[in-house]
Parts: sequence; C-alpha cells; structure tokens
Amino acid sequence: MAIFNLKKREIECKIVYYGPGRCGKTTNLEYIFKSYKKQVTGEMVSINTEGDRTLFFDFLPMGLGKIKDCDIRVQLYTVPGQIKYSSTRKLVLRGVDGIVFVADSLEVRRQKNMISLKDLQTNLKEYGKSIFKIPLVIQHNKRDLADEGIPLMTIEQMERDLNRQLKVPSFPGSAVKGTGVGVTLKACLMETLKSLQREFKWAK
Amino acid sequence: MDINLQIKSLLSEAELYRSQGLFSEAKDKYHAASAMIHKIDRLKNKDSLLKAISGKIQSLEEKTAKVETGPGSPELSKKGQNLIKSLFGENDMQQAVALAKFGQFERAIVELTALLKDDVYRVDAGKNIIRCKMAIASVDDAIDQYNQWYSGDLFTVSQLETIRTYLQPILDKKGIDKPLPVPVNERAELNATADSGGIEFSMPEPEEEILDISSIGITFTSGSQKGKMVEFDVNFQSGKMLSLIISKNDKGLIDDLKDGDELEEIQFYSPIAMFKGMAVIASKTQIKTGPKQGDFCLDLKITST
Repeated sequence: MAIFNLKKREIECKIVYYGPGRCGKTTNLEYIFKSYKKQVTGEMVSINTEGDRTLFFDFLPMGLGKIKDCDIRVQLYTVPGQIKYSSTRKLVLRGVDGIVFVADSLEVRRQKNMISLKDLQTNLKEYGKSIFKIPLVIQHNKRDLADEGIPLMTIEQMERDLNRQLKVPSFPGSAVKGTGVGVTLKACLMETLKSLQREFKWAK
Repeated sequence: MDINLQIKSLLSEAELYRSQGLFSEAKDKYHAASAMIHKIDRLKNKDSLLKAISGKIQSLEEKTAKVETGPGSPELSKKGQNLIKSLFGENDMQQAVALAKFGQFERAIVELTALLKDDVYRVDAGKNIIRCKMAIASVDDAIDQYNQWYSGDLFTVSQLETIRTYLQPILDKKGIDKPLPVPVNERAELNATADSGGIEFSMPEPEEEILDISSIGITFTSGSQKGKMVEFDVNFQSGKMLSLIISKNDKGLIDDLKDGDELEEIQFYSPIAMFKGMAVIASKTQIKTGPKQGDFCLDLKITST
C-alpha cells in the first residue's frame, strides 16, 4: 500500500515484477540499476540466489523526483518465480501498488506464463485486490532470441494467451539487452500514479 | 529439413535453454536429439556424440537436483535480515514475525526474546518463540523453554496459561507424554487447599487454537515426488480440515497420494507464523462439474502441529 505523506508531499509506492521462473525479472531490475543511476537511490539487493535463482526477492529503491509538486519514491521488487516459493511470492506481493508481469517469449514456456499469471490473480485475490483493477503492464521478454533461431511465440499469440481479457499495456522487450525495460517501467509507473491519484488526489 | 540440421537445431536450442537455467526444457531437447541420432545408421562420430549428449543430460540432472533439494530458506546475512525487517514489518513484533516467515528463525528468536519484556507483545512473542524452536530445533527445546518460563516470573499466570494451552495439545498429538505444569496463582492455590464447600461448576475445556493456514508445503517421502517439497494454497479451512484445489495440470504432483495416507512432513504457513506438522488425507476427489471440472480437491485433516 502506497504511503502518502500529505505534510511533506511525498508518495512511496511499491512495484512488483512478477512472472514465471527464469523469465527475466531480476535481469529487468539489474538493467534499471545500471542504466537509471540518477533515479536509483540505493543499492540493488538480491536476497539470496541458488544457482542464479531468486529465493526470496530483489529490491531496488528509486526516486522519480518531483511530479506535480510531490516527491515520488518507488520501491521495485521481484518475486521468486519457482512454483515452490508460493508463500514468499505472497509475502512480497503484500501492499503492492503496481505490477509488471514479465512473460517469457520462449514457446516452451507458454504454459508457465499462464500458470504464473493465474497465480498472480489468486495471490492478489487473497489481499482483496482484483487483477482487472490493479495497475498492471505486461512485458513480452526475450524477443532477442528470435535472432538465434530459437522458437518464440508471436506477440499476437502471447496477447491472446495473457492479455485477451486484461487488455493492459504490453511491450516487447529484451531485458538482457535493455530493450523495452524503460518503457515497461514507465508505463507501469504511469498506471500506478494515475491509480494513486484516484485514491489520494495527490496531484494539485 | 535435413536431419543433420534438425539435430543441430535441437542441440542449439538445448544449449540455450541450459544457459537460461531452463533445465527441464534443455533435457527434453537433448533427449529428442539423442533419439534422432540413434535412428541414423551411418553417422560419423555417432557414439561420441551420444556420449557427449548423455553427459550433458547427466549434468542437467545434477543441477536440477541441486536446485530442488537446496534449502528453501537459507540463513541470510545480517544485512539481508535487516532488509526483511525494514521492508516487511511496521513494528517490532511484525518485524520479528517477518524474519520467521522468511525462515530466519535464529534471529527471529533473538528479536522475539527481546519483545518478552514488553507486556503488550509478551504472549505473542512467547508463542512465536515456541513455534520457531519447533521449526529449527525440537519439541524438547520448546518444552524446556516453557519450563524455564514456568520457573521464572516473567509471565503472569494467565499469560503462561495461554502458552501452555498452545503447546500442550501439540505434545499430546505427537504422543509425547509430558504434561506441562499448569500455572496457578497464590490465591488459587490457597482456595484449592481450603474446602469452601461452595457450588462447583465444571469449566469448559479451553478451545484448541487452530490458526488460519494460507498455504502448506508437503515434503513427499515416497513415490515419484520423493524428497521434494511442493507448496499448495489452502482454498478452504474448517478447523483442522484443509481443502486444497489442485489443477489437473498438476495432477502428477498428487498421483501418489490416496485416501488415508499420512503426510509426515508438512510446513504450515499462516499469516503470523510458519510451523511444521502432520496430516492425513481425508479424501482425494476429482471435480466433475463446474468451472474447476477436472481439477482435484484434496481434503487434509491436520493430525499434529
């Protein structure tokens, strides 16, 4: 849940990167950490990994500066993607304000994307939130692998699988190269701030 | 496509999946390539190729096993633990419980012990210390802790009784015949010795506390999932009965489970703590109609926590 300090005119909100295991959530945060130094306000912390796999979460604090006379601070998190870390995902999702769903474009990961999105819906429901109402954007990651001749799903296919009912903003991306990372985050922040405006009327 | 090109394509796909950490997908492609190679009679270096693929598959299996059997909640650095505290708890109690939820039991016990000094938090801190001790050490450690508190004067009689009524049923269910000493205050002791001759009401037994359980982790001790811990969400709870809806896509996970089976290693996750226990499968049924048609409903009865 975002914190709005009316006196100091400060908003602190929480964005969570969600998606199946190995889809590139941590890679997104790593790229943001490397490339948005001006906005990053602290170290990126990756809480323990087993062979590169996130076991707990990654955390990256950012400051967007003043928007409409309000100081905007953002906390970016990733969740562990593996199915067995369901309870950790739920814990990290608590108080979320906006979500980036990172989908894996590899054909072989089609089912995993759908299972993870369904898992997101279930976990949000437990916090009394609807996947249809929460600020959400989708990133179709790993598009660069098409150049290596690896079978990828088409964007149309992924939209049909994941975004047919949600109809949320979506972007192709390659977190490893940085393509689409910034635009995805920006879209998510815009959706989140719009939603917080409806809630707090923070913008003068 | 030429068969050589097909094999080359499968192998490069497998290599990419391996590099991405998608071990299962990589293995599938290596197996497919291997099957294709087997079919070709006159292939140069056929044996060495098959041997190399077999080595890759074995290496993937080792990596998969390492990931699957790795600790679910390894001990973090103090910095990591501090971050968990600051990000997931607003007050001292929530911060200590957050540590326990992330499996940082040792540090959680230290923080909870400090909270025992605070009258507001004392009982919750005490119960969570007992839970942490049972999660990392043994029931005996939890009993020792209770006895230590019983001998001291930190807890009031009613506070200590709350802890006792939490711990005693756990011991009873585990078949541990160690009745915990019942805390009594001096006035009650005096009343007990003096024969008042007044009316005596039979007091209701204290209700057993069953926490709301949001999810469980079952460690399979037999069958195809042997040694693995799989987490399931709890869809419905009525006291000790838990109902889980398991997607037909995950049928393989529960294939080996049948009515009456005892699950001896279950990790229970509740909003305030995590703890270990046992359960028995009351029923496993496939849903015949409705939106969840084809999914499975698994009813578990908690037998001990």
